[in-house]
Amino acid sequence: MLHVIKKSFKPGQLLLQGSLWLYFILSVYPLYWMISYSLKNNDEIFSTNPFGLPTHFRIENYINAWNNFNIPRYFLNSTIVSIVSTAGILLLAIMFSYATARMVWKFSGTARAYMMIGMFIPLQVIMIPLAVLVKDFHLINTYGALVVPYIAFGLPLSSLIFYGFMRGIPIELEESACMDGAGIFRTFFSIIVPIVKPAVATLAILQFLNVWNEFLLAYILISDESMKTLPLGLLFFQGQYSTDWGGMGAVMTIASLPTVIVFLFFSEQVERAMTVGSAVKG
Amino acid sequence: MQGMNNMKTYLSNKKTIALFTLPALLIYTLIVTYPVLQALFRSFYDWNGLGGGTFIGIQNYIQLFEDPLLIRSLRNGALFALVLVVFQIGLGTLLALVCADPKVKGRKILKTGYFIPVVLSVTVVCQLWIAIYDPTNGMINKLFQLLGIPYQQYWLTSPAVSIIAIAFVNAWQFMGFQFSLLYAGVKSIPEQYMEAATIDGCSKWKAHLKITLPMMAETYKFSFILAITSGIGAFIQMLIMTSGGPGTTNYTLTFMIYRYAFMDSEYGYACAVSIFLVVLSLLATLIINKVFNRERFSH
Repeated sequence: MLHVIKKSFKPGQLLLQGSLWLYFILSVYPLYWMISYSLKNNDEIFSTNPFGLPTHFRIENYINAWNNFNIPRYFLNSTIVSIVSTAGILLLAIMFSYATARMVWKFSGTARAYMMIGMFIPLQVIMIPLAVLVKDFHLINTYGALVVPYIAFGLPLSSLIFYGFMRGIPIELEESACMDGAGIFRTFFSIIVPIVKPAVATLAILQFLNVWNEFLLAYILISDESMKTLPLGLLFFQGQYSTDWGGMGAVMTIASLPTVIVFLFFSEQVERAMTVGSAVKG
Repeated sequence: MQGMNNMKTYLSNKKTIALFTLPALLIYTLIVTYPVLQALFRSFYDWNGLGGGTFIGIQNYIQLFEDPLLIRSLRNGALFALVLVVFQIGLGTLLALVCADPKVKGRKILKTGYFIPVVLSVTVVCQLWIAIYDPTNGMINKLFQLLGIPYQQYWLTSPAVSIIAIAFVNAWQFMGFQFSLLYAGVKSIPEQYMEAATIDGCSKWKAHLKITLPMMAETYKFSFILAITSGIGAFIQMLIMTSGGPGTTNYTLTFMIYRYAFMDSEYGYACAVSIFLVVLSLLATLIINKVFNRERFSH
């Protein structure tokens, strides 16, 4: 094996590995460009220094973006909606999975299958009746209009992943807890929940990213300026970029920081959760 | 024995089961099941979103097949899917095969770099690309200018290139995702197969073509389903980058749904379009499944 590899000549290897780095540049350069223009003024972006590193580091773009636009408000809304939705998804999914994976009842399989169907349903077919429903419940322009649907959409995948985890737990653990006289809730919270902690962490990251970036539903259900989440609020700046590219770049960089930081810290988990979760659909 | 009996009653306590499952089932039924059924039901109605509407049979579906926007939307959806397939699956496969080579250095950095755009918000990505595509100050036209290439384009407003330019933004953003799937697919194939082939005198690329790719049928099945259903359902990029325009040039099925429901208040008709979209996506999924299952059996 080694022998064969050694024979394959170097320039070919170099070319192939070079192609990997070439795509790396295509993938990352636009982001570098965005951050670099967030630190420049229009003169520099348009004529004097469109591609180079920023020379003056115009932090004022960030200060202006934060102070003059509604960024803090959008940021707050996104944070509230993402945290509440993620917590809701995890709590309901973990309870549901415990009942379907460990408890004994007639419709356990049916309930699980029913929940799984949700993974195959595109948002497009839900959005019209959902918009009407939200209006009928007088939830338009409230956090509830987003949180409740986000919880519902997060349930199928999260339940599936928890289910897989819980099936692997040996029954003896519950038996001994039961013989020790622990009630089912104590068993659930002090034995089962700690065991599925890795899945909780992975799903928390995944669902947080999904909710933080969700756009379509927010676009349809939220019109009130003070209730907008970041992806929605950013649209407001569209059209303004022609007058202030630096400010626009700053706004986009601010909006991207939370998810990029989460990703850089937990990249393996995020990738695994995203790809494993979706591979189930195929 | 006492313990075992206890255990049974303990794990089949009806009240506990209800408490654990009902919240999830209720919220899911209200937000997912009910709207899907409602959309199906309302697709047979002339309905403006208020009150009961009027039952009109399959009139909405007849209207849909006579709608000139349908052909345009299907064509755009197909082009969108094509760009995703060529770029994400085609190029993604090449990158995954090269990256799986044990001699590659800096694999972790490469994979992280490919994946970063996936975690950005679609709004940020679209607005970034609006700037990149900008005819006078954008990165691409500026770069061509810098290199002395006299090729300047109105990337987003010229009907000939805009749908490709828009689809490319989606392809670029989610490349990392498809790459991860494909890379995992390549990695899942036992190394002995490749070793055996190369020892038999097969060149590495030929071995990949004959062994690696056919064995990745499962992965490809999912990659194709993802790319093609994304094409059929495409919307957000058009909405943000061109509002579906110029005119209706960049319309897709979802754009039709959005416009008929939320701009024209023809909710019943929009529901019919949404049902058509679901059926089309399921059909595509079934066909892809069939194709790749046959593929797998022939090897």
